[in-house]
Amino acid sequence: MKTKKMLSMAMAMSVAATSAFAGVTAFAEEEEDYVIKVGVICAMTGGSAIYGEGAQNAINMAVEEINASDSEYTIEILNGGNVADDAKDATEAVNAYNSLMAESPEAVVGSFFSTPTLAMAELAADDGMLLLATGATNVDVTLKGDTIFRNCFIDPFQGEMAAQFASEQGYTSAYVIYAKDDDYSNGLKDAFVESAEELGIEVLGVAECTTTDTDFTAQATNAVASGADFVFYPCFLDTVPLLVQQVRDAGFEGAIMGGDGWDGADTTGYEDYFDNCYFTNHYSSEDTSESVQNFVTKYTEAYGTDSLNACAALYYDAMYMLLQAAEDGGGSDTASLVAGMTEMEFSGVAGDIYLDENGDAIKPVVVNTYEEGQIKWLETIQPSA
Amino acid sequence: MSIFIQSLINGLNQGAIYALIALGYTMVYGILRMINFAHGDFIMVGAYTLFYTVPMMVNHGMPAWLAVFVAIAACVIVGVLVERIAYKPVRNSGSISALITALAMSLFLENLAMVLFGANPKTIPKIFDLPMIDILGAKIQVKYLLTLGIGLAIMICMTLFVRLTKIGKAMRAVPQDKEAATIIGINVDRIITMTFAIGSALAAVAALMYCSTYPRATTDMGTMMGIKAFIAAVLGGIGVIPGAMLGGMILGLIEIFVKVYIAPGWYEAITYGILIVVLLIKPSGILGKNVGEKV
Amino acid sequence: MPKKMKTNYLINLVGLILLFLVLYAAFESGIFGSRTNYFMGIATTACYTIIMVTSLNLLVGILGEFSLGHAGFMSVGAYASAILTNALADTGIPDLALFLLALLIGGIAAGITGVLVGIPTLKLRGDYLAIVTVAFAEIIRVAFTNFQITGGGRTMSGIKKLSNFYWVFWVTVVCVAFMYMFIRSRFGRTVKAIREDYIAAAASGVNVTFYKVLTFTISAFFAGVAGAIYAHYITAMIPTTFNFNYSAEFLTEVIIGGTGSMTGSIIGATFLSALPEMLRSFSKYRMLGYSVVLVLIMIFRPGGIFGGWEFSLSRALSRFSPKAKAANKTGKEDE
Repeated sequence: MKTKKMLSMAMAMSVAATSAFAGVTAFAEEEEDYVIKVGVICAMTGGSAIYGEGAQNAINMAVEEINASDSEYTIEILNGGNVADDAKDATEAVNAYNSLMAESPEAVVGSFFSTPTLAMAELAADDGMLLLATGATNVDVTLKGDTIFRNCFIDPFQGEMAAQFASEQGYTSAYVIYAKDDDYSNGLKDAFVESAEELGIEVLGVAECTTTDTDFTAQATNAVASGADFVFYPCFLDTVPLLVQQVRDAGFEGAIMGGDGWDGADTTGYEDYFDNCYFTNHYSSEDTSESVQNFVTKYTEAYGTDSLNACAALYYDAMYMLLQAAEDGGGSDTASLVAGMTEMEFSGVAGDIYLDENGDAIKPVVVNTYEEGQIKWLETIQPSA
Repeated sequence: MSIFIQSLINGLNQGAIYALIALGYTMVYGILRMINFAHGDFIMVGAYTLFYTVPMMVNHGMPAWLAVFVAIAACVIVGVLVERIAYKPVRNSGSISALITALAMSLFLENLAMVLFGANPKTIPKIFDLPMIDILGAKIQVKYLLTLGIGLAIMICMTLFVRLTKIGKAMRAVPQDKEAATIIGINVDRIITMTFAIGSALAAVAALMYCSTYPRATTDMGTMMGIKAFIAAVLGGIGVIPGAMLGGMILGLIEIFVKVYIAPGWYEAITYGILIVVLLIKPSGILGKNVGEKV
Repeated sequence: MPKKMKTNYLINLVGLILLFLVLYAAFESGIFGSRTNYFMGIATTACYTIIMVTSLNLLVGILGEFSLGHAGFMSVGAYASAILTNALADTGIPDLALFLLALLIGGIAAGITGVLVGIPTLKLRGDYLAIVTVAFAEIIRVAFTNFQITGGGRTMSGIKKLSNFYWVFWVTVVCVAFMYMFIRSRFGRTVKAIREDYIAAAASGVNVTFYKVLTFTISAFFAGVAGAIYAHYITAMIPTTFNFNYSAEFLTEVIIGGTGSMTGSIIGATFLSALPEMLRSFSKYRMLGYSVVLVLIMIFRPGGIFGGWEFSLSRALSRFSPKAKAANKTGKEDE
């Protein structure tokens, strides 16, 4: 196995070397080789590097498993097995995409954020390249072309689900705090507010913050003063402990809820603050299903829990989705993969997925809560047809 | 009413943190006439030190806040090294060189932290376990009042220190005339290093107060906070110690009140807008003296 | 010596055409194989970075003030031009005309902002001015996050992809040539005089205010043009991209290349925008490396790698041709 991997790596490198230095066109092998060549993109540097770390670990794990399995297909990660870095920036993403395209991939996986993915999606649509977005939740991503898919939720879905959950749990009034300068946060907020009103939850206020804010005392004060019993905070894991702590410190005792951006938030030292907090996610580490347990145990053993978050799970699933697409589509070339991927039904760590006609994932959402700072599974909501 | 009181305390708390950072800026600016962009990053150094030392303190049965002394040591070492290695050689090459060097040091510290500690934000354990009290229906964290008290105490100490002690007097003499200061036996290099040491120590205290309110350390936490604190220093009058305190408080209050009552999405724009207006109307700040330019 | 200058410009034009043809041949012949798009992408990135860095150098090197908010001007140009092309998308205007119009509107919009930012320069200099530029850039960023027309904090995507490398190349040439001519013109010399001693310049009857605001406006205009290229190359953008760090990166490139040297800016921008690509696997250490280089430059070579030196094609040619040498002797390059 190892020799094979080494060999393929050496081959990829020599291809890259010859095409770069000798100016020879990279060989385009048309015949079936049973190797799915995949380029992977995520944020490896900058403030969001924690996601890239998870992505790299997850694809290493998935590829190792797939290549050791008895499937006739194997996966080769281009760029020497490394995730290409987009630093959460559109320019870097375009460069990363172009650099991967130079190695003639059959599919590109990434990226985790909407802005870089939207820039790449334009290119992928032009090139007819299969792009499997892993965390880009902006509705527009998959509308750019027929070869673009995603395995994460779209923004409106999680907001709707959070509102549905709040209504089921009997909350009657909500206060929303969201990051004004982020697609994800905006998308979840809009959907939540809309659904909440439909379901009869009164939205008492919508407060803005930014993704770089650390001070939420003003928003917290207003939230408490509004008398709401439910706070919705759809932002990413780095600010979650700050918000929860400040909202609780301001005297809020109701529920605080977020989306999958919360997965991986550090609760150390503030365990009691996280009681009565909830977030929607793709999976629950408590899920007893084999695939989830296998993923969580193996990941924790190999890399610890630091970077075990929704991003890792989504990249892990992406590899298996490509494998299934190759098997269903009957080949490892882009056309077969796209055929296999279109309206695919897939079952992985992040639940049972059905890709709809746009290429968006329709899948159940898991609601997690916390118990002494540990994530606890609460319920799984199946998508309504 | 309770919203108002609570916001007032929140604003003063944030203002006190800005003020502590602004004090460091003001002292360095007062003596070297340079914006020490890396000052915000000294807070980051302090915060990471706290992240590693607070659990150690707690494990040994000591109060968590004692970790601040380790943080002070770490910040002073970093501050003095930065001054000696990077700032000293460019001290006479003009303000642009100094500013760029400071910017470079800021980038350096941030990226070094990224390499050393990784990108994952670190949550700092609870430092003060203080209760919440009710004042006229507003729920007030006692630790916020503590921050305010420490801020005021440090400002008074610093004012007295600069006014009354020998070193303090030397600190005021150096920026007025370096050569004359040398002639009357002041070791200019030593005084500058000392200023950096004090500024960095204040940064460590600021880190403690910051982390008790916002318990998180990230590698880029220093940049924007540094710029905000600089705005506070300019607002109050740069080089003036009570000015830093005043500027910090005003800035903290403005930010919180804009967020509570006006438009949370615009609060940063309003902060910066105020800076521009102040600089255009009275560049020397609220408490500063207007100094004519030498021809 | 207008005739001398004319030949010089002609020689440079010929040189540029040759460079363009070499690049054109390289990209079109498929010599890079599957890497063509990748290299073209980097070349496009390098082009708008060159415009950004040279325009910033106009402030840093010529006016002697500096802006830590240049990305703010860039975002004004980017958003203004993108709004324009979105509005005109289906009117059937040919792509090239639309592209040029977008560049112009982007530049003008940024230029107007430049006037606004330029006004405080009447009262402020040095550190204070640098902070004011940061403040302006941040206000712009916050405003774009809040305005609905700029996406309201979301990614603005689906911008028409108009920036093709060949067009961008010539836009860059025109922009840099204009800035170079500005520096060497009467205006440029006056601005340099203000840099050296503004009190003396004012005393000699120079309208300091006008020249400072003018330089700021020109610099902002070109940053806006670069922003327009950016918007129509990347096609998706969010205001948070144009943050303080992005501005700081441009300033770094100016300083490393050499304050006051257009050659330095061009080489600095090209090299530093290609470098991260060459060292992708070291990207974690990239900014760390930049900062160390920056400190070393400040200590040992405060003028930057190229100082104020300018490359001149005619001078380089004169090494080989005795005739040009003779012609050149009389017309020595300034600086």
